[in-house]
Amino acid sequence: MTEAQGGTGSMGAVPEVVVEEKRRISIVWLIPLVAVVIGAWLVYKAILEKGPTVTITFKTAAGLVAGKTKIKYKDVEVGKVESVTFGEDLSKVVVTAELSPEMRPYLTEFTRFWVVTARVAAGEVTGLSTLLSGAFIGMDPGREGESERDFIGLEKAPVVVADTPGTRFVLRSKSLGSIEAGSPVYYRRIRVGEVESYELEQGGEDIVFRVFVFAPHDRLVHENTRFWNASGIDVSLNADGFRLETESMVSLLIGGIAFDTPSNLDTASAAASGTEFQLYPSREATTKHEYERKDYYLVYFDGSVRGLKVGAPVVIRGMEVGKVVDMNFLFDVQKVDFVVPVLIEIEPDRIKVVGLEPGGEERKMVNELVARGLRAQLRPGNILTGQLMVELEFQPDAPPAMVRTEGQYQVLPSVPATIDQLRLGLNEILRKIQDLPLGKIAENLNNTLAGTSRLVNSEELAASVHSLNGTLMQTERLAADLSDDVMPQLEGTLKQARSAMQNVDGLLRSDSPAYNELMTMMRELSGAARSIRMMANYLERHPEALIKGKSR
Amino acid sequence: MTAGEHSALELSLAGCHNCEQVNRIPAGVRGAVMRCPRCGTAIRPRKPDSIARTWALLIAAYVFYVPAMVFPITKITTLGQVQSDTIMSGVIYFLKSGEWPVGLVIFVASVFVPVLKLFILTYLVISLQRRSQWRPRDRTRLYRVTELVGRWSMVDIYVVTLLVTLVKVGAVANIDAGPAALYFAAVVVITIFAANSFDPRLIWDSLEKQQ
Repeated sequence: MTEAQGGTGSMGAVPEVVVEEKRRISIVWLIPLVAVVIGAWLVYKAILEKGPTVTITFKTAAGLVAGKTKIKYKDVEVGKVESVTFGEDLSKVVVTAELSPEMRPYLTEFTRFWVVTARVAAGEVTGLSTLLSGAFIGMDPGREGESERDFIGLEKAPVVVADTPGTRFVLRSKSLGSIEAGSPVYYRRIRVGEVESYELEQGGEDIVFRVFVFAPHDRLVHENTRFWNASGIDVSLNADGFRLETESMVSLLIGGIAFDTPSNLDTASAAASGTEFQLYPSREATTKHEYERKDYYLVYFDGSVRGLKVGAPVVIRGMEVGKVVDMNFLFDVQKVDFVVPVLIEIEPDRIKVVGLEPGGEERKMVNELVARGLRAQLRPGNILTGQLMVELEFQPDAPPAMVRTEGQYQVLPSVPATIDQLRLGLNEILRKIQDLPLGKIAENLNNTLAGTSRLVNSEELAASVHSLNGTLMQTERLAADLSDDVMPQLEGTLKQARSAMQNVDGLLRSDSPAYNELMTMMRELSGAARSIRMMANYLERHPEALIKGKSR
Repeated sequence: MTAGEHSALELSLAGCHNCEQVNRIPAGVRGAVMRCPRCGTAIRPRKPDSIARTWALLIAAYVFYVPAMVFPITKITTLGQVQSDTIMSGVIYFLKSGEWPVGLVIFVASVFVPVLKLFILTYLVISLQRRSQWRPRDRTRLYRVTELVGRWSMVDIYVVTLLVTLVKVGAVANIDAGPAALYFAAVVVITIFAANSFDPRLIWDSLEKQQ
């Protein structure tokens, strides 16, 4: 600073500055402080607003754009797709998306995602708005269940979103029919629900449908409600004529399920959510009772079983009691014959048993029935189609037989089919005809004819006929005489008889004098009788009057 | 640097900003507030707290630069489809779609220049604190470049402002400014202030002290 001092010296006229105390901290530091506060606030907000990140697996990423595609719930944006990548082995598309934080509690195992695009399906057109705005991912929040972040996207929008009021039911069926997810559920042809999904059960036995019935119609589903497949057209040809039935044109196209509660049964309580029902193949089938108890019997048929099929009815006196379950074809080496064993299923509950003594066993009845002549027989069930059924009928003429047990089944004895019997009988007749001594008969007949001819042509016969003619003529004449002479006399006699009768009638009429006299006489007689009675009474009380006379 | 070159401060002199009177600085008052004896204006031989203020503004600019880059600067709505673009995504979009001159302009104005300016200032401040002797002339030139080019960063903000006002066709096409616009404007303004608060004379001061 020596130079500076020197400088000061050379410029003595330069005034000195006024010196003041200096503030320690510059106010300029407020700017970065504000910046940091704003920055910190932004970071805090970002962390706060940072929603949960989820991955959704789809089959394809049609219409999905990373950074653009939105996730919407009730058409409100709740998230955005961040990236679209491939899953393992390129078979799936994995969409990573960030959702808004308020959705965090609703990401559970029941949460569902699906791509919403314009879709024209049978029955409806959906997602038209996406034509302009592009596809988006729909979300159905799950309200319960475990928290989940990895989801498998649905291929189709779910039929029923979580907060739709209604009840879910489970249906079981042996076949899918034409039912699809989204197929309608009808109650008396009103659309009251939809099929949510279906799947083959683990064992592959049943198909399990999940149906959703919207409130308030879900109360119509009772414990005893019956569901049936209402897909397509139900054509029936029966004694009532030709009948064609379908729930609606929509169900004709995409299938459907209908339900109704039979009124004849006791009104059961409303079914709870998740109740399982049987899905019947048709409305008709619902009216058939399901019988738990089933007895199986084996029947061997010797004749042709052409027209007998599995499922053919087993009837007793025309009432269906069971059906054919299985058929086989055996060759008996010992008998050197073919035989057809048919397994039939009989539902004993179809037959109401009366007069059963307590403790008595129904099973043993079979033996008794067979002993009484119960036999299985093939009968034509339908003349048009030639289908056969098994009829159990008492055959009094049948050779005696017993129920025997073969393996696990009891074997019912059978008799040949009616047609077979007919054929057998016919054969018998033919054989007898064959055995007839036709030649001899013809010869005898010929001789007889010759004798007759001789008789007819003889002169005696001609004479006899002639005299017979004369006799007849005389007889005719006699009859004519009779009618001419006897008839007038007879008429006169009848006339006299009638006038005699009239006279008698006039005599007895009420205004005739004879009648009046008769009546007077009768009155006199009754007066006399009264006097005699009075006298008798008097005498009884006063017997002395007989001697003394009437006292005065 | 030759011996004849001296700064006013070195000669214990300081001019008043308002009345232009040259005043003598007494020894041992460095760091205190001085006033002009004639007009009473505060006399500052160098910009006051230059390094600290520059640092403060630089830090603020750095802090604001992050949201300016991360948040979308424009929100374009076309036919119901909303597209948010950050500065970088816009640049990438233009480069990819073949409009590379536009992309380049945006990149230079919005990314390159502000970052360059921040880095230059940061370097200058650090070099001052370390009393660097290295090429003071070039460093001064760097500072001049910074001052010159800084205001062009506002191009981006102007573009956004114009677009927002021009493209307003309801749902068919609509452009809105995103939150980044605000932060970016703050970065540009704060950097201008930072460059202003920097005193290039300090570069030479430290050189003199070494001698």
